[in-house]
Order: sequence, then structure tokens, then C-alpha cells
Amino acid sequence: MTLEAVKFAAADNLWSAIFPELLLGGLALLLLALEILLPKRLHAVIPDVAAAGVAGTLIGMLVNLQFTTGAMTFNGLLQHSTGGQLMRVFFLLCALLVFLLARVSLARQPMPRVEFYHIVLVVTATMMLLAQSNNFVMLFVALETLTIGLYILVAYFRTSTASLEAGLKYLVMGALSSGLLLFGIVLLYGVAGSPSLPSHTVEPLNYDELGRFLAGNPHNFLASLGIALVLAGIAFKIGAFPFQIWVPDVYQGAPTPVTAFLAVASKAAGFAVLLGLCGPGGPFASYGWLVTPALTAMAAATILFGNLAALTQSNVKRLIGLSGVSHAGFLLLGVVASSASPHAIGAVYFYLFAYLIASFTVFGVMVHVAGADDSDQQLDHYAGLARRNPFLATVLAVGLGSLAGIPPLAGFMGKFLIFVAAFEAGARWLLAVAAVGVVISIYYYFGWIKAAFFDTWVPPTDPAATPTGTPPGRTVKVTLAVLALLSIGLGFYQGPLGQWLTLR
Amino acid sequence: MIAPTLNAYLAISVLLFAIGLIGVLVRRNVLVIFMCLELMLVASTVALVAFSRFNGTMDGNVFVFFILTVAAAEVAVGLAIIVALFRKRQTTAVNELNTLKN
Repeated sequence: MTLEAVKFAAADNLWSAIFPELLLGGLALLLLALEILLPKRLHAVIPDVAAAGVAGTLIGMLVNLQFTTGAMTFNGLLQHSTGGQLMRVFFLLCALLVFLLARVSLARQPMPRVEFYHIVLVVTATMMLLAQSNNFVMLFVALETLTIGLYILVAYFRTSTASLEAGLKYLVMGALSSGLLLFGIVLLYGVAGSPSLPSHTVEPLNYDELGRFLAGNPHNFLASLGIALVLAGIAFKIGAFPFQIWVPDVYQGAPTPVTAFLAVASKAAGFAVLLGLCGPGGPFASYGWLVTPALTAMAAATILFGNLAALTQSNVKRLIGLSGVSHAGFLLLGVVASSASPHAIGAVYFYLFAYLIASFTVFGVMVHVAGADDSDQQLDHYAGLARRNPFLATVLAVGLGSLAGIPPLAGFMGKFLIFVAAFEAGARWLLAVAAVGVVISIYYYFGWIKAAFFDTWVPPTDPAATPTGTPPGRTVKVTLAVLALLSIGLGFYQGPLGQWLTLR
Repeated sequence: MIAPTLNAYLAISVLLFAIGLIGVLVRRNVLVIFMCLELMLVASTVALVAFSRFNGTMDGNVFVFFILTVAAAEVAVGLAIIVALFRKRQTTAVNELNTLKN
């Protein structure tokens, strides 16, 4: 390669386009430096620095939000689409809320703190890159950095057997899914670069080039095998049936802030990838004969399995994990509809934001009710919460109501928009399954609300059995109140955000 | 000497992948499962290099370096978790690691 060629390639590296990710990376390093440089009594400011940095990046992102469509940088590794910008904001919000939960949760454990914030920052930056990736090398490297970061976070409470065991299970399942995904990518790479096939390409790892090849060979066996393996790998990450077996165990064992991160951010990252690959204009669009039936069956099975399995749970972390599986099913319904309905992608983004707001409301309450043993959070512990702490109980009811999809909360609007898109796309029987799923989900969500409001608290025979919990501080109270109000507000009035998302 | 063909390389790759996948599903020792997972990544690497060589596209060779790096990071984190868990439970058999239950 000559110097000229290198210069030509480098001219495409628009570093300012990934400025938010670079900021997060720099911030992560700064935290480690601060831990060494600051005296021990000042270490308490490090989480504040992390939160302030993320908040600053978020504000900067929102101020400079431009909806440039499809500008490519780094030789086509990244594509800066509108959806990518939205997901960046989404992940920054997640990181900020995870920091808030971590502050409460980590305070109860004899653990180093700074590394937790460091890894969350790195993982957030890679998720932001993942949502904008336009090349399979970028996709794989970003996805792996994300997953390896999450292995560490899941096993973070290393004095707890539950946390370590959850880490191991997540490691085995995550590595297995990466293996499947990688083999799928390799098959696609090999078949798309094969000179014996029509419209083969010299850059088979690029989404657009691959899409052009797949459109030219719509019934290639190896390519469809590759697509199936890639979809299986992503289905593991989003916890879709039949790849959801890891979800309840890992969600139970992981520290509560990490459970929230897995449930919201990691799932959203999976959906960002799925929309990029299978959505309109994605490389897999011409394989609708394979992708649509596969995702349809997966969505139906995921909704039913998640809701039915959640019915019998008594541990709230397992319950929220399995209900998260069913939410992945509803989102898959939106992805399926995206090939035929122009409103579906906006509906998926709206659903993700409504899910973020409601989930973090619920996790915010869970963190405060939990005791020293993070994996042991039973429904019984919520008995009499309304009397002990009316604020937490009210916020919990709003969050759970939104997750269940009770009108007029934001979760209802999310489900409604997805159902409208699915109706437009003509997925009638899938809609029927989803409606059954919603009805089942109301049962267990209201079981939780009932435990908090109507179960009278009986003094336990063993006083050590019920954790005392932590009273919420002022920042947390304000944040939880804002989140609950957002859930209510977005249900009544979607404003320019909803209008822009759905009526594009 | 027999010149190796693309199909021969792919057969090896698929064989390695199958051994890895079956190993993950069947074996009961965490360390063996972990080795099988790495075998799956290596199988992909073999196919990648073969495709890259026979199709004349260079991306595959570059991709291999990324995969090796990722696999190394995964091994570092994975072994750390396994060692920490072994210290706690004194076992590496997956059917004895069953603290998490409803």
C-alpha cells in the first residue's frame, strides 16, 4: 500500500463523528487516573465525576443532535443514521441511571468502586458504536467488547457465589452465542466473496456490499445458513426464545444495577443490531422469505414463554428477567412489522424509550428494598411497602403499570404503536398471541403491586429473613419521581418526539 | 503432494466447530466447556483464512487478528471467573453449580 492510498483512507476517518464515544473512553481512563492521584478521603468524588461526565456528554449530544441520514465514516465501518443517534442518547441515559443505582447497591458491598464505573463507561461507548456499525468486523469487535465487559460486571460481587455463578453462566452462553454469530459471519463472508457467484463483491463484510450480493442471489443455501446463525447469535443477546435459558439465572445472580443494564441497554443494543441487519435497507432485507417467518415464530414463542414462565416466580429479579423476555418478544413483533409498515421502526424506538423509563423506575425501587444479599429479593419482601415507604410504593406501581401496558401510561402507548404497525403489516395471528401475552403479564405485574399495597406486613418469625433495605436519598427520590412522571406524561402526550418517531 | 482445496479446509473447519459445539452441550467440566468454546472460535478462523485465500479478498486475514485478540480477552476474563468460583465452591462440575434457583 502506498502512502497516497493510506492518506486517502485516512481522509475518511472523521474522528469528530465519534466524539461522544471518545469522550466516554477518555473519561473511563480519567477515573482510573483519579483513583491513583487523589488521596483516599477524596475517592467519593470519583462516581460524581463519572456521572457529571456522562451527563455532560448527554447534553452535548442533545444540543448537537443532527439527523444526517446515512453519512459513512471510517471507510464504511460506521454509518451515522437517525436511529444510531437516538440509540446513542438511549445508552447515555442508561449509563447515567445505572450509576445512580450502583451508588446505592455498591455501598452495601465491600468492593472496589471505581472499576465498576470504568467498565460501565467502556461498555456504554461500545454499545454506541455497535448501534452505528455498518461492517461485520466492527459489529463483532463492538459486540465482544460489550459482552466481555458485561461478564465482568455480572460477576462483580465476587464474594457472592450467586454473582460468580451468574457470571460463569453468562460467560458460557455469551461465548457460545458469539461462536455461532462468528461462524455465520464467516459463511456470509465466504459465499459473498466467491468469484463463481453472480454479483460477488471484494468487500463482503460491508453491509451494503453484502446486501447487494444477497439481493443478487436470493436463494443461496450457504448464505441462508449464515443468516440463520447470525440471527441465532443475536437472539441469544436479546434473550429471545429458544435462546433465553440464561436469562432468569443471570438476572438473579447479577448485582441489581447490572441486571438493569442487561435488561435495558444490552437488549436495546441487540435490537439496534437486528434493525440494522433485518430492517428495511439492511443487508438481510432480500432474504425476507427466511428472516420474516423465523422472527415471527420467535416473537410468538418469546411472548408466550416469557409471560408464562414469569407467572410462577417468587424472586422479583427472576420475575423482571422473564418479563423482560416477553418485552423482547413485543419488540421482535415490531422488527417483523418493519418490513411492511413504515411506522414500525419508530414504534420500536418509542417502545425502547418507554421500557427504559419504566424499567429503571422499578429497578430504582428494587435497589432500595434489597438487603445485603443482592440475589435474594423475594416478592414477600414487598409486603407492607406502601405503609413503610409510600413514595417507593407509588413509584413502583407506576413503573409496573407502564411495563404491563396499562393506559394511559407510556408502556401502553409503546405497545399500542407496535400493535398498530403489526396490524398494518398484516401479522394478525401474531397480534392475537401478543394480546394474550399482555393479559397474562397483567396478572403477575399486579401480583407484585398487590404485594406492595394490600398484603399486610406480618412480623417475620426470623428477623434476619427480611432485609431492612436502604431509605432513598434526595437525588434518587427526584430521579424516580421524574421517571414516574415521564411514564405518565409520555402516555398522555407523546409530543414532538412521538410524532417524529411514528409519523416519519 | 495433494494440493489442499477450499472444501478440505471447510471440512476441517466444520468438524472443529461441530466438536466444539457438541463439547459445550455434552461435557460437564467448566474448563472443558471453555476449551470447546475457544475451539468454535478457532474453527471460524480456519474457515476465514481459507475463504480469504481462495476468494482473493484480504478482509478475512485482517479479521483473524481481531478474533484472536477478542478470544484472548475472553479467556482472561473467563479463567478469572472460573478461578474465583473454584475458590468459593471447590468444584468445576456444572451440575454442582446450582445456587441460582427459583
